[in-house]
Amino acid sequence: MKRTLLVSCLVLLMVSCYYRDSEPFIGNVKFDGTGYRPVYKNPEDISKVEVLAAQSLRKPGKIYTFDRYLFINELGKGIHIIDNADPKKPENLSFVSIIGNYDIAVKDNWLYADNHSNLLVIDIADPKAPKVTKVIPDAIPVHNYPPLLGVYFECADEKKGVIVDWEKVEMEKQPKCYR
Amino acid sequence: MKKLIPLLFLGLAAVGLMLLLNSCDDGASDSAPSPQTGTGGSMARFAITGNTLYIVSKQSLEVYDINQGGSPAKAVTKNLGVGIETIFPYQKSLFIGATDGMYIYNNSTPNDPVLLSKYTHVLSCDPVVVQGQYAYVTLRAGVNCRPGGSFSSLDVVDISDPTKPQMVNSQRMDTPYGLGVSGNKLFVCEGDKGLRVMDITDRKVPIQKHFFQEVPSYDVIVRNNQLIVTGKEGLYQYKFDESDSIEYLSKIPVL
Repeated sequence: MKRTLLVSCLVLLMVSCYYRDSEPFIGNVKFDGTGYRPVYKNPEDISKVEVLAAQSLRKPGKIYTFDRYLFINELGKGIHIIDNADPKKPENLSFVSIIGNYDIAVKDNWLYADNHSNLLVIDIADPKAPKVTKVIPDAIPVHNYPPLLGVYFECADEKKGVIVDWEKVEMEKQPKCYR
Repeated sequence: MKKLIPLLFLGLAAVGLMLLLNSCDDGASDSAPSPQTGTGGSMARFAITGNTLYIVSKQSLEVYDINQGGSPAKAVTKNLGVGIETIFPYQKSLFIGATDGMYIYNNSTPNDPVLLSKYTHVLSCDPVVVQGQYAYVTLRAGVNCRPGGSFSSLDVVDISDPTKPQMVNSQRMDTPYGLGVSGNKLFVCEGDKGLRVMDITDRKVPIQKHFFQEVPSYDVIVRNNQLIVTGKEGLYQYKFDESDSIEYLSKIPVL
């Protein structure tokens, strides 16, 4: 009995060491005067989706083709819907304004789009008048820290809203949060 | 001896037939997966195969059943490492690009993909596309991607055994982002530097044919000999064929 206890204690000890070792570089990087600051938005503004007249491209991101249509993401802002039946003369049909949108996928007349952490289902049976038919909240995990390791950042404050992005800025004081 | 000759011919014919059938199989596999779903680029975090929607977040793979297109139902979440960036479905596999490597999942059961292997490499940003037995991966060095000032590359990985991916070729690139593959062509987006057109008649060894430096590019879609490119100047469309000529079709400019 004593021996089992001893062995299990030893095993536990070893395991505890192992887990501590696998922590990513805590404190290994020196603060260099820059850090990441959260960009906040309030939840009502995030979920607002609007269908607008065709807009010109400004910062195009990912693309998706379906049938005769071409969907072009406007980074963080929404989706341009283009009729591409004649690739020599693509026709810009409409713009769906969606905050925090970067990705698109289509099956039949359903377009799936990210809206920050929400997943939107949009009926595009009439691509000139797309309609949001469903919002699945918290479908895409987002975290209250920047998507990087070995960086200092201003700690997230839920009272200020939802974090939609992180910007790298110069900071006078070393922020409290690090990962 | 004379009696053997017809047999020899028969044998050759059989081999020829097998080769033909094989190449047909190859050809069919680069077209769109099914007529009711669309095609995304290599930088995508969303992908649909059949009635399943896959979403990769920075740390996980989220799987949705979309048999009922209007109401996706959550099937499963698979936790992955950190720095997940892209997903590319190909036949019965999912290829997931992460900052530290490429994950290969078997999705024979679409609602519950199973991890087969992970091809690990140095820290970088790396989308992946697949054709036949080879995966083409770009590795981009950069502030958030590969710290320490190392170089960017285009790697060719043999995935004929998806449980044991093997690198067979690697060459330097400038600042590669998305890429696309079809037949004997491989297109590599080099960000502000331009768009590279590579010949892959030898699938293992991409050889550069054109480098369009006036076309800043971020991602491509290649489908039915049609090339769609986006970048900071706008969206460009081209037509291409097995030869080395590429025909400009149109541009939607950034204004």
